[in-house]
Amino acid sequence: MKTIEMHGIRKIYPDGVIALHGVDFEAEEGEIHGLLGENGAGKTTLMRILYGEIRPTEGEIKVLGRRVRYRNPRDAIKQGIAMIYQHFSLVPTMTVLDNLYLALATINPRITRNEVEARAKKLIGETRLKIPLDKVVEELPAGVQQRVEILKALIRDARILILDEPTSVLTPLEAEELFQSLKKLKEKRMTIILITHKLREVKAITDRVTVLRRGIKVGTVRTSEVTEAQLARMMVARDVELVLEKPPGIQPGREVLRIEYLWVRNSEGVDVLKGVNLSVREGEIIGVAGVQGNGQTELAEAIAGLRRPYRGRIILDSKDITMLDPMSRYKLGISYVPESRRNGLIHEMNLIENSVLTSTYSYIGRYGFIDWGRAVETALKIIKEYDINPPNPYTMVKNLSGGNQQKLLVGRELVKKPRVLVVSEPTQGVDVASTEFIRRKLLELKTRGVGILLISTDLDEVIQLSDRIIVMYEGRVIGEGRTEEFTLEKLGLLMGGISA
Amino acid sequence: MPEASNYMRIVKVIIEEAVSLLVGFAVAVIILLFSGYEPLSVISILFSEGFRNTEVLMKQSIPVIATGLAFSIPALAGLFNIGGESQLYIGAFTGLVSTYIIYNATGQPVLSSVTGLVSGTLAGGFWGFIIGYLRARRSVNEVVVAIMMNWTTYYLVLYLIVSRFTDPIYSHMSVFVPASSRIPDVLGFIMIAGVAVLTYIVLRYSSLGYSIRVAGLNPKAAVYAGFNLEKIFITAMSISGAIAGLGGALFVLSVIYSIDTTMSAIYGLGFLGIGIGLLGRNNPIGVVLAGLFISGLQFGGQWVELRTGAPPYLTDVVIGIIVIALSATYTYELLVSKLRRG
Repeated sequence: MKTIEMHGIRKIYPDGVIALHGVDFEAEEGEIHGLLGENGAGKTTLMRILYGEIRPTEGEIKVLGRRVRYRNPRDAIKQGIAMIYQHFSLVPTMTVLDNLYLALATINPRITRNEVEARAKKLIGETRLKIPLDKVVEELPAGVQQRVEILKALIRDARILILDEPTSVLTPLEAEELFQSLKKLKEKRMTIILITHKLREVKAITDRVTVLRRGIKVGTVRTSEVTEAQLARMMVARDVELVLEKPPGIQPGREVLRIEYLWVRNSEGVDVLKGVNLSVREGEIIGVAGVQGNGQTELAEAIAGLRRPYRGRIILDSKDITMLDPMSRYKLGISYVPESRRNGLIHEMNLIENSVLTSTYSYIGRYGFIDWGRAVETALKIIKEYDINPPNPYTMVKNLSGGNQQKLLVGRELVKKPRVLVVSEPTQGVDVASTEFIRRKLLELKTRGVGILLISTDLDEVIQLSDRIIVMYEGRVIGEGRTEEFTLEKLGLLMGGISA
Repeated sequence: MPEASNYMRIVKVIIEEAVSLLVGFAVAVIILLFSGYEPLSVISILFSEGFRNTEVLMKQSIPVIATGLAFSIPALAGLFNIGGESQLYIGAFTGLVSTYIIYNATGQPVLSSVTGLVSGTLAGGFWGFIIGYLRARRSVNEVVVAIMMNWTTYYLVLYLIVSRFTDPIYSHMSVFVPASSRIPDVLGFIMIAGVAVLTYIVLRYSSLGYSIRVAGLNPKAAVYAGFNLEKIFITAMSISGAIAGLGGALFVLSVIYSIDTTMSAIYGLGFLGIGIGLLGRNNPIGVVLAGLFISGLQFGGQWVELRTGAPPYLTDVVIGIIVIALSATYTYELLVSKLRRG
């Protein structure tokens, strides 16, 4: 029996970005349905629409055969839909039982704690989920917290369970346990939707899989009838638009940056980089491909000095910089364009003040005063070379469009004439003209002998600009080679965690 | 160079403040009516008497300008300094005692008062440093530390005055600043106003000021820029404590000359500084103007009491409403931008 039917779902955001171009989606009772796609394919958007969190611009949704129009997730929860995000929505300082009580009390204010406890114990007995009810949530490992989320869904009588990249926060063992639990729930005729980009997971646990690409449904297939390679192709296939011509073969020079066996932990103590090696030479663009959250951000931050590795070395021009702070590294010629404009620009300051953010040391004059005259010159230079509108250096950054902000961010790091540029998502959320402009500037910088590490989840960008590509998966370099050696299918497989 | 051509913004600020002032007065009038006093005469006394004597006004505003600055500098770095109170106490006390001791030991008036000002500044700075250090290195909330220090310092200073430094003739007063070591006329005000101008220049044009503002506006960007947030927090707190301490020392050396054993002359001036910082929109020049304005109202309030018999609390309420109304728009903007950043 079909539990979910979504027809012609379109979502256009107020700024004109089209997230979904009329997608159809169906899921049945008692199946685990995979939803596969790259970043920005629209997987999460589609499910948030089902969950009542986002309203579709157009389209029809039927749940259990009835047409629905949710105003908010509460409506969806009442009809038995539950969604579990990567970041759990539990109150960390409360016990598991209190969290469950809170979850139930929002839909049934008269329920008592004893009733909640009785129901929770019964469910734990039936599903054999190992959950300590009296423990404080923040003291539990991620895998157990996730089980609490599942129990929270069950106790609200959910029949349809949506999980958004559920294994991204889990250890392999915890992931295995999760899959066992999901299989049990499937036997109880629940509908489970698994949003993921990991091909192996899709193969291991789903019955059917729907693939989305750039807001369009590529197709729904029986998992047993396709190979991983076919899925990879469905996920990434596209006409690569080679609008930019790579500058004719400049010979990469000597090595400027070397990363040796780098290990980094995140704030939760989980390894996010697991022994990464790489090398960047003068006049070479190394593209780092991969689905978001596989260690690329941490790699960039480790090179910039914003994150301390606990093992391994970072070498710039044969000088070990592993222990240096960010400013010392910037002085030595590292430039870093972070993926988020929010972290790289100060919206409440003007262009001039933003132009010197990462190079204040070279503007300090007598008595610790900044040479604002020179700062104005730099701002004007960035405005001119990067065609920033309006061309007034006193404009507040918050009043610039996204494209102009991005040009300022990239321009600021490029006019510093770095030895090595680490650039993360240089064209994310930027209009077509600015995208092309920024890409040209990166190629220009390369011909001037700068070593560039280009981190991007946009495959087109990586393929168009890079001389060599490395693919990251779960904190490791899973594939590496010259750009010509990669087919789209191979890239797709690698991004999905399958090497060779 | 921070925004040079922003006449529109200044005009906007003036209009906002004028409207807030009107709203504040309207509420004050209602309260006065309900309490059975003649609103117009109360308000006219408040202003005419409050701003009649410029010299008194300038002298009275010294400590609140200092604590206003002490609030504003950390606020720009994203910290809430509620410790201006204790920093003012310790500055006043240290300034008084060291001037007294040095004068008695050497007989040199200038040396003693300069020592007084310097030691008051250092003491206040050290008080601020403690808060900044605990916040930066031990992640202790700066508000909690500051409140505890306010009370500790209050009783510490009282104890020291009563046990060691009571005046032999007036037993409810501390020792007095020797007559020749006193800072004459409005020199004290000129000095604190000079500090405000200096603060303005440093915040706007120096690399330290730049890093403080970056840290306050966007801490993540500050880390990305390579600034050391811990160092910024400690520096901002130390500077602000030093200014509050200097304010205390200047107030003692040029206005009150002695601290009474209930500390009534300096109690509350640190808290008032928070309102003045908000009213001055964390702009040092604005803080000077706000300090003068509020001091005038406070001074006028004493006359209201004399002339109409209205209890001093009532004028405090009126002043409070005006301050709330004036700082409300700014606080609102502050909150909105903080929430937006999440």
